[in-house]
Amino acid sequence: MFACLFVPDFPVQAACRMEPKDTREIFKKSPIAILDGPTPPRVVAMNQAARSAGIQIGMTKLQVETCGGISLRKRSLANEESARAALLDCGRAFSPCVESTCPGTVILDLAGTEKLFGSHESTGHKIADHGAQVGLELNVGVAANPDSAMFAARGYSGITVIPEGREAKYLAPLEVSVLPAAPEVLDILDVWGIRTLQSLAGLPPIALTERLGQEGLQLQRLACGKTCRTLVPAESNEDLTEAYEFEDPVETLESLAFILDRLIQQLCVRLSSRSLATNQLEVMLELEAKQRQTGQDREQYERVWKLPLPVQDGRVLFRLAYLDLGKSSFSAPIHKITVRVVPVRPRSVQQSLFVPVSPETEQLEITLARIRGVVGISDQSGIACAGSPTILDSHKPDSFSVEPFSGGPASGAFPAGSESVLVLRIFRPALETSVDMAANKPHCLSIRKRQFRVLAASGPWCNSGFWWNNSAWSRDEWDIAVKTWEGIGYYRIYLDKIRKQWFVEGIFD
Amino acid sequence: MPSADLLRSQIEARIPAAFAVYRRPERKTIPTGITQIDDLNGGVPVGALTEICGSDLVSSGRTSVLISLLSKASQTHFCALVDASDTFDPASAHKTGTNLSRLLWVRCGKNQSKFTPLEQAFKVTDILLQSGGFGLIVVDIGCIAERLVRRVPLSSWFRFSRVVERHSTALVLIEQQPHATSCAGLVLRMTMVSAIFSGRVITQFNLRSEILRGREKKPSQSVSQDFSLKTQWA
Repeated sequence: MFACLFVPDFPVQAACRMEPKDTREIFKKSPIAILDGPTPPRVVAMNQAARSAGIQIGMTKLQVETCGGISLRKRSLANEESARAALLDCGRAFSPCVESTCPGTVILDLAGTEKLFGSHESTGHKIADHGAQVGLELNVGVAANPDSAMFAARGYSGITVIPEGREAKYLAPLEVSVLPAAPEVLDILDVWGIRTLQSLAGLPPIALTERLGQEGLQLQRLACGKTCRTLVPAESNEDLTEAYEFEDPVETLESLAFILDRLIQQLCVRLSSRSLATNQLEVMLELEAKQRQTGQDREQYERVWKLPLPVQDGRVLFRLAYLDLGKSSFSAPIHKITVRVVPVRPRSVQQSLFVPVSPETEQLEITLARIRGVVGISDQSGIACAGSPTILDSHKPDSFSVEPFSGGPASGAFPAGSESVLVLRIFRPALETSVDMAANKPHCLSIRKRQFRVLAASGPWCNSGFWWNNSAWSRDEWDIAVKTWEGIGYYRIYLDKIRKQWFVEGIFD
Repeated sequence: MPSADLLRSQIEARIPAAFAVYRRPERKTIPTGITQIDDLNGGVPVGALTEICGSDLVSSGRTSVLISLLSKASQTHFCALVDASDTFDPASAHKTGTNLSRLLWVRCGKNQSKFTPLEQAFKVTDILLQSGGFGLIVVDIGCIAERLVRRVPLSSWFRFSRVVERHSTALVLIEQQPHATSCAGLVLRMTMVSAIFSGRVITQFNLRSEILRGREKKPSQSVSQDFSLKTQWA
C-alpha cells in the first residue's frame, strides 16, 4: 500500500506555517491570496475562502483589492522550500521510501509498517497529526498504487483509505482536473463533456486512443486506478534548515524571537521524527539596509552555537539563541532569518552513578549564556570571561586560558590532597608602582597612591622568556614586606626590564 | 474540666505536627583542608552562607583558605568561583590540587558593562544558585572597596541565605568585613600573626582564624585557632 501526503493550497500553507495554531485556524476561514511575479504581481495561489470570494489565478493586486477583505501575501520561495523539506521529513517519519512527487505532494511506501503504526486508517491519522506538528494541514490518501493514493489525497479532504481492488469506485466522483494532464487535453475532455473520472473510465479505449493518443489511454488507466509504478525515492538530505522571509522587515527582538522560536521548534520536531538531536545551532540573519542603499547583496549576520552534548529540546536552543541575540545590535531591520541545526545521534549513555552531582547538561549552556550576558564573552586579550581555567605550557607568570566549562565528569588524574600552601592574590592587570631603591634593594614604594616603607625584601629573582620573538618578557621579582597602618603586608613586586617600569603583581594572602 | 493529656491528644488527633519536636537535620560541611579550621567548625557548612573576612591591605590568609577549600571541594563537587576583581591565580590552585576542569571561573569587570563588578558578581551568583548543581559557590569580593559592599542591601544577603538553604550548595563569600550579619551560617576572620624567613627567603606564614559567628556551634565568645602555611617554594 502507498500513502500520499497532499498539502492543499501549498503556497498559502507555506506562507502561514510559522503562525501559531490558533492563528492558522483563523487564516483557514479568512480569504488569503499569494502574489508573485514582476510588476504588477499577480495571484499565483489562494485558499478555499478566497476562491469562494471570486479570486482567480492571474488576477492583479488591484483586481484582488477591489474584492475587499482579501489578505494578500507575497510568495516566499524560502518558506516553500522549508515547508517542502518539513513535508518530506513528515513522510520519512513513517517510511524510509519516500517520493517527492511535486511541491506539496509526497508519496510513501507503507509496505511492512502495519506492525508499527497499526491499520492504514490509523496510519493516515498519525501522518495527519504529525503534519499538524510541523504546521501543515494534510490530506492523506492510502491506496494500492501511488497514483490512486495521490488522486484520493487531492480529491478528498482528510483521510481516505481505498481498499485494494476498489480504486475505480472511489475515484469515480473525482473531477478530471486531478489528473496530471496537459491543459489542452483537459480542454478537449471538457468540450466532450467528460468532467469526472467515472466518465473518462467509461470511454471506449480504442476510440480514445485514436483521438488523444497514448496520453488519453494512460489518463483512462489512471482514472480506473489500474496503473502501477515504482516510487522514485527522494534523496536523503541531512541538512536541516528552516527559513522565513518577513514581508515587512522587523526591527525588534520580540518580533524576531517569535519566528525564531517557531523555526527552532519546527526543526526540533523534524529532528525528533528522524530520532536525531543536535549539537550545533546556526542562525543567519539577512539585513535590509545594504540592498536598498547600494543594490548589492544583503548584509548578513551569522551566529553559531556549539553545544557540548546533543540536545533535542527546542526551548533550550531558543533560550540560548535569544540570550545571545539580545546582546547584539543590528545596523538595519531584519529581512530574512535562516536557522540550521547539525543533526547528530542523541546521547544514549547514562551518566555514572559515582560522579558528583553536576549542573543539568541541557540547562548548563543556558546558565553560561546568561552569565556571559552579564560579564561579557571575553576580555580585551580574548580570554573568555567564564569557563574552566587551564594552565598554559609556559614559564611566563600568570599565563592561562579559559576553556568552555562542560560540566561533564572530569577525566584524568590530578594531584589530590596536596598540602595547603600560601598563595598569591593576583592583581590583574598588575598595579603600576614606583619604587625607591636603597643599597640595591626596594626601600619605599607606593601602592594605590599610598607610600609604604619596605621592611624586608627578598630578591631579585630574575625571570625572562620569549626573547626570540615579539612577545619577550624579562623581569626582576622581589618579595617584600611593607608596613601599613593595618599591619604588615607581603607583596610580590617586579621590575619589567623591557618597559622599565615597576609593578605590584599581587599580595601573599 | 479536661486534663492536659486529654487536650493534647485531641489536638494531636487533628493536628499531628502540633507537638512534634522539630529536629534540624545535621548540616553537612565541606572541609577546608586546613585541619585547624576544620577542627573549629568542621569546615564550610553546606546549605548556608559563609563569610571569610580579612584585610585587603595586609596578608591575612583568606585567599589561601579559599584555594585550599577549592582543592578539597573540587575532588567531590563541581565548584564555581565568581571573581569580582579577577584575582584568582589558576597556577596556585593547580599546584594545591584543585581539579580545574570541575571549576567554573567567572571573571567579572573585564568588559565595559552597565553593571559594576560587584553587581555582576551578585547577578552571576543569583544565576548559579538558580541553576543548581554546584556543590560550592565562592564569591570573591575581597578587593571591592568596603564602602561599596556596605551599600549592598540586607535583603540581598537574606535572599542568598534563603535560596542556598534549599540547595546542597555551600555559598562562601571572601570579603574584607562581614556584612551578612544573621544571614551568615559561619563567619571566619583571618589574620596574620607572623612570617618566618629562612635567610632572605620567606618560607612560612603563621595565621590565625577566628570564628565570629557559627550557627551550628554558637560560640559564647569568639574562638580562634593558629596555624601555619608554607610558601610554595619552601
